[in-house]
Amino acid sequence: MTRGRGTGRRWLLVALVALALTAGPPLARAVPTRPVDIDAGTLLGRVQAAEDRPWSGLVETTGTLALPDADQFSDVAALFGGSTRMRVWWRDADHWRVDQLSTSGEQDLVRTGDRTVRWDYERLQARFGEEPSVRLPRAADLLPTELAARMLRGAGPDDVTRLPARRVADRTAPGLRLVPASPRTTIDHVDVWADADTGLPLRVEVYDASGRFLTSEAVDVDLATPSEARVSFTTPPGAGVERDDVLDIADAANQYAPLIAPQRAGGLEADGSNGAVGVYGTGPEQVVAIPLRDREADALRDQLGVTPGARQGATGTRVTVGPLGVLLTGAEGEGGLLVAGTVTPPTLHAVARDVIAGYQYVGVPQ
Amino acid sequence: MIRVELVSLLRSRRTWATIALVDALPVIVAVLLAVTDLGPRPGTGPAFLSAVLTDGTLYPLAALAIVLPLFLPIAVAVFAGEAIAGEAQQGTLRYLLLRPVGRTHLLIAKLVGVMAFVVLTVLVVAATAYLLGIGLLGHQSVTASAPGTASVSGTSLSTPELVARTFAALGYAMLCMLGVASVALFASTLVRSPLAAAMGALALLVGSTLLLTLDAADPLKPYLLTRYWLAFVDLFRDPILWHDLVRGVLLQLGYVVVFLGAAWANFATKDISD
Repeated sequence: MTRGRGTGRRWLLVALVALALTAGPPLARAVPTRPVDIDAGTLLGRVQAAEDRPWSGLVETTGTLALPDADQFSDVAALFGGSTRMRVWWRDADHWRVDQLSTSGEQDLVRTGDRTVRWDYERLQARFGEEPSVRLPRAADLLPTELAARMLRGAGPDDVTRLPARRVADRTAPGLRLVPASPRTTIDHVDVWADADTGLPLRVEVYDASGRFLTSEAVDVDLATPSEARVSFTTPPGAGVERDDVLDIADAANQYAPLIAPQRAGGLEADGSNGAVGVYGTGPEQVVAIPLRDREADALRDQLGVTPGARQGATGTRVTVGPLGVLLTGAEGEGGLLVAGTVTPPTLHAVARDVIAGYQYVGVPQ
Repeated sequence: MIRVELVSLLRSRRTWATIALVDALPVIVAVLLAVTDLGPRPGTGPAFLSAVLTDGTLYPLAALAIVLPLFLPIAVAVFAGEAIAGEAQQGTLRYLLLRPVGRTHLLIAKLVGVMAFVVLTVLVVAATAYLLGIGLLGHQSVTASAPGTASVSGTSLSTPELVARTFAALGYAMLCMLGVASVALFASTLVRSPLAAAMGALALLVGSTLLLTLDAADPLKPYLLTRYWLAFVDLFRDPILWHDLVRGVLLQLGYVVVFLGAAWANFATKDISD
């Protein structure tokens, strides 16, 4: 009898310890945040003012879009269709470092003024280049600060509502919901939680009509300004050094295609681009138009053609993946115009039509 | 009791045969790398495996990344599963307990024996890998103007820094195996068959590894045994990324406390007839 009671007590002790260890972390996270008395417009202003605030930390992003995995766009597909971990040191828009972490290494991007260095540990290689005016999305674009800045650009107090505060990175973060008013965008709404004191965006969730497809959250945050040494790069011993003339296919087309894209397409204004690649719209309704040579266009057309839901039309091949519309004009051997963005199919077609009609031909760059 | 366990461990041919088997895989990989000079494509192989073609002194870490996910935990599960259930199966447990030692003491002695096996295995794998690394693999030129080894973040690590971080990584791997040992030791107090005990621990390992690949299991991931095993790579980033390492240490300690506690709760008052 005594032995049975002793056994019971031992097991009870073990069960209590197990319960305390497993329930402790969720309970700590469930502690209510301090009340934040701030209206949506004021919070929006605070978030927009914190766009270039210094910080450092650890960020995790998750995307659920199954984008076509074409050669030149494989990094973009991985970015929006999987999980990414990043370490960030941000002094200002021109001085920062973002390390993309993996269990087998790192791919880092260091920006100093107009210059960038890309470090790849597994290739033991540093690639020096210049920040292009137009490029494909990269990991650093998914930082909650960058994503919030992009999504809230042009938004006013009437476009946003307040969401309850939540605890993010162990900080109290009041929330903000942006519901785009434009009928052209496929983004349903964007939720942003920002640090109550500084307005620094800590978590961003982006939704289309069927649900959330992108989340970016800072899991650790330090609001002190990182040192200059932390955002600089010195090539380590034994590493290879390369110089990049072009960063990606968008940069290459923008630099070398003998075209200038029009300043307006599909009812959207150009967003600062002045080369062959047009970027139109702002905030949640953005679309890019990239002229492709036949070699790149044919490979992408083949890939789009086998993507579930692909539609062949008079304009070209169109695919819709979640909120992202992709249209490639033309036929095999003709090259094509790639139009992609978070806009509706009619807008996609209108942009393609206007860009093709509005291209100015210039001399071939030497 | 602890001394007896350690002596018995070191004298056992099975101990050295198991260590040799665990060590064989990194040896084969080193020879293949040296012969073919072909590293894994970025993002596809174990950590540090592509870097060893340039710097062979990193091969102990690559060897650790090779054995840590599967080979080492299997060996530990088999050893720890044997600890109590093996004695029960051979009918020697009752005689062991006739000696003037408490059951808790016996349990601790068995755990120390398993951990001694882990320490020995990790050190043998690391030492063999180091010799193979400098003998067969990359020889990075170290000059006065560019001394050291490239960290994962692309900064330069001095030799003392590299050595200190390598030993920290080995210690972290040993702690991870202490978690496996605790689970297997608990299973060993539940059943009479060492195989069943080892299989119980391995089931948890396989389940944990599988769940880690499933997005729907996100809420469970911070509690999964294998969740932070490969976080030792974070010791070689600059600055060291402590986020997962700290969680990994706390998680393994949690497993040790709970499963050793369960082993103690079960074994201390269990009827022993074998």
